[in-house]
Amino acid sequence: MEVLLESRALSKTFTSGNEQEYQVLKAIDLQIRKGEFVAVMGPSGSGKSTLLYNISGMDQASGGSVKFGGMELTGMSEQELSDLRLTRMGFIFQQIHLLKNLTLLDNIILTAYMAKKQSRKGLNDRAMSLMKQSGIEGLANHDITQASGGQLQRVAICRALINQPDMIFGDEPTGALNSKSAGEIMELLADINRSGTTILLVTHDVKVAAKTDRILFMMDGSLVDENRLGKYRKELDDLRAREEKLTGWLAGLGF
Amino acid sequence: MLIQMLRRDFRRKKSISIALFIFISISALLVASGSNMLMELTQSLNALFKQSKAPHFVQMHAGELNEAEVQKFASAHDLVEDYQVAAMVNVDGSHLYLKQDGESEEQSVMDHYFVMQNESFDLLLDTGNKPVRVERGEIAVPVYYKQQSNVSIGDTIKLSDGAFEREWTVAGYVRDAQMNASIVHSKRFVLHPSDWAALSQRTGEMEYLIEFRLKDQGMLQQFRSDYQAASMPSKGPSVDESLFKALNALTDGILAAVIILVSLLLSLVAILCLRYTLIAAMEEDYREIGIMKAIGIRPKTIKNMYLLKYSALAVLAAIIGYAASWGVNALFTSNMELYLGSAPRSLPLLAVPLIASALVCAIVIGCCKLTLRAFDRVSAVEALRAGTLGEARSSGKAPALHRSRWMPVPVFLGMRDVLSRFKMYRLLLVVFIISTCIMIVPVNLLNTFKSPSFNTYMGIERSDLRIDMQYSEQVTEEFMRVSQTLTNDADVERFSPIFASAFQYVNSDGAMEEMAVETGDFSLFPLEYAQGRAPVEENEIALSYLNGKDMGKKVGDRIRLHVDGTEKEMTVTGIYQDVTNGGRTAKAVLPFLPDQVIRYEVSVDLKEGVPVRDKMEQYAKSFYPAKVTDLEGYLSQTLGNTIHQLRLLTAVAVIVAILIAILITALFLQMAVAKDAAQIAIMRSIGFSLPAIRIQYVTRALLVLGIGILFGTIVSNTAGQSLAGLILSFIGASSIKFVINPVQAYAGLPLVLMAAVAVTTLLSIASIKKTTITEWNAG
Repeated sequence: MEVLLESRALSKTFTSGNEQEYQVLKAIDLQIRKGEFVAVMGPSGSGKSTLLYNISGMDQASGGSVKFGGMELTGMSEQELSDLRLTRMGFIFQQIHLLKNLTLLDNIILTAYMAKKQSRKGLNDRAMSLMKQSGIEGLANHDITQASGGQLQRVAICRALINQPDMIFGDEPTGALNSKSAGEIMELLADINRSGTTILLVTHDVKVAAKTDRILFMMDGSLVDENRLGKYRKELDDLRAREEKLTGWLAGLGF
Repeated sequence: MLIQMLRRDFRRKKSISIALFIFISISALLVASGSNMLMELTQSLNALFKQSKAPHFVQMHAGELNEAEVQKFASAHDLVEDYQVAAMVNVDGSHLYLKQDGESEEQSVMDHYFVMQNESFDLLLDTGNKPVRVERGEIAVPVYYKQQSNVSIGDTIKLSDGAFEREWTVAGYVRDAQMNASIVHSKRFVLHPSDWAALSQRTGEMEYLIEFRLKDQGMLQQFRSDYQAASMPSKGPSVDESLFKALNALTDGILAAVIILVSLLLSLVAILCLRYTLIAAMEEDYREIGIMKAIGIRPKTIKNMYLLKYSALAVLAAIIGYAASWGVNALFTSNMELYLGSAPRSLPLLAVPLIASALVCAIVIGCCKLTLRAFDRVSAVEALRAGTLGEARSSGKAPALHRSRWMPVPVFLGMRDVLSRFKMYRLLLVVFIISTCIMIVPVNLLNTFKSPSFNTYMGIERSDLRIDMQYSEQVTEEFMRVSQTLTNDADVERFSPIFASAFQYVNSDGAMEEMAVETGDFSLFPLEYAQGRAPVEENEIALSYLNGKDMGKKVGDRIRLHVDGTEKEMTVTGIYQDVTNGGRTAKAVLPFLPDQVIRYEVSVDLKEGVPVRDKMEQYAKSFYPAKVTDLEGYLSQTLGNTIHQLRLLTAVAVIVAILIAILITALFLQMAVAKDAAQIAIMRSIGFSLPAIRIQYVTRALLVLGIGILFGTIVSNTAGQSLAGLILSFIGASSIKFVINPVQAYAGLPLVLMAAVAVTTLLSIASIKKTTITEWNAG
């Protein structure tokens, strides 16, 4: 399968207040193919989120290169990176990060109106259909204070999907949700992946990672191992078995 | 925790604390300077009147004078303390050369009187407020010419009427309690007695000031009636001390009033800023306030902490503002010093500005206390749970994006934010309204003063040319000659003569009083009336605003007027505005009685295409000694000084307004960006470019500014206009209507303000570049 995202010798260094340098990412080589569903796991402070922000062009790497869809991200202007995030990437965050003063529907169509790929009427219809697929169609005109955490994360997923991106990045998308909501969100993401959208997410949760195709393990800024579980088929695969396999693997890595 | 909160508050609010400090300082500075100006004006005016021993009652008289008759009246009258007859030689402007470029004063509307220094009272003073003394061959010129024509000491003043020629060297300037102000169309030049005697025999018209000092000034009205009843010489206007004072105080008085007004507006801005700062501080410390309440710390302690900080700031700022006012007072009082001299140092002069500054400080602290009452409403439970004070909560009534069919998203978001968080933008809106008013009111007032239609407030009709003839022995013949020429001149479209005559009327006490009434056909050159209409019938009369006010007469009331020996009952048909002739004039359709005419005025309109300036010069030569002026020239010479001061003030006001708008926009947006950091980070993460976010903030600022300009313009043209009218009503213009230059007021100034605010916005939100989701999530 075609490679969608690739990093070579990607590194990121932070300078602390007392001028001391910390290398958070150390020469990361990574390939994500089109249609893959990948999870990045690892202990806190291992550099998972930093990796996600650097390969999505949200943060500037200190060294190495990142290619997305054949385009080199390092060296791109701020404007070009914004356009790329707007039109070809989608994002889901642990803290949900919706805009406060907009209704849930408006939060979803916001980036679509900016990207102008379709008429506004068409985009409204698409947003409503996404909400329907996500089971939140009745909340279109609600304020963000009038929905639960799980419902808001579905809105964030709809927002991530509205521009039909090539890839969705998720930073602990289920981290703030209860187990029932987290399970539902993962089902939704698996469905989205099955329809062809590449997904990379950062997680601590074995139950979340068990639904992905491939799990990368990070430690101290380096990718130390990976586990290919293969595509999860809800009807055919034993999820518990996948979870157990994963738990064993992680235990072997000291997690 | 208290100290920590206070320290944090100061650190976070460094820029707003500095801005507050500046506002309170400037406010204190302006209020101190304005009140200082008023105090100096009063005191220097009193000093000038005391030093010059200004007369209490003056009758101007042109023509033959029986001095013995005046002396007899004066010595017999109980109220007269002192009296004198001051002779003056009225030199025609076309014979007088003040400027060094050889141009005569032909175009000047001023009457140039050459006089000797008076001996006992009505002393003409030098710039040290000592009676001016000149040697032979020397002359002292009115301070008006120092300012208007740059006449300097050592310059040569020439008088030449063809037959008689004489030159004098300028040895000093004259402060003239009676004729200082530019609005007074008479100016006195002081010569050595022997020079004056030579001059008076050779050229000019002789006129007299019959002057009285009274034992009891309160009896002035009684004295005026007695003087008129005794048929004393009265070919000219009669004036009194209160009018001299009002005219002297006019220009600087208006300036002082405007400065105090600007200061109050600045105080308002400071108070709003303070309120916003406190609310923002409370928002941020809401949780801590809740915790403190929960653990039993009294809210008063927390309140006092903020109060202490801002009170200290206000007191310090007011002290610095007051101290700084000492430095700028000279700037504001320079015109006054030139015309009136400096006031003697006195306790009130020091104390009043200090009290005024203290008042500004007290108001600021008072408002701080009021705002802090919000603390009482903080409930510990609510604070701990909600963590917000609710000031900036969304209103929920704003439009939805999915209903917007065409508006660009950043513009929509900017607009929606203003609508949904309107409470937060209130401060900015009020500041923009104030800025607009500070800019528009002086600009409109200046344009009104500069406009040819200012004639409305001067009681004169609008015409291309105006011919003025003062009383002389031959005035009636001259008038006939002028009339004849105008009738035969093919260039003249129409003309209308007006005769001003002195008539007696019965005042409210039943006593006879004199009043100058203009007679003629008022339909040819109609004047805009404040109330009612021009007189048409023989028993109708219109009064100037001040005359009406003094006499207690309104439209429909009746006045008993003595015309040619018989008493006529006249109905007041209209009130018009007039700032000339002391603001006290009247207009009626009465028979032409050449013996009683004190002056003639002819309004002339020329046919289209006839060059006004050429005609004016032609008439000035052929109608000599009548004064021919075009309306614009007449207005600019009369109001030149006021316009000059007003122009200065307008320039300062526009700059101040723009600076206020810039400062508050910068502070407001810095705070807004800090508050919105999370939202900005989210937008950037989902693909909003920096320009798209900048457009949102520029939209917010410009939308609020747009609303501010709209309301500011409405307020300026309604309340601002009324305020200007209130100030100007003291000199006879009761209902000023702003003459608005639409390009300037509705396009130019708003665009300048918009450009300033847009640039400020872009600069103030530079920090959004550093706001990213990675930082936000990390922080």
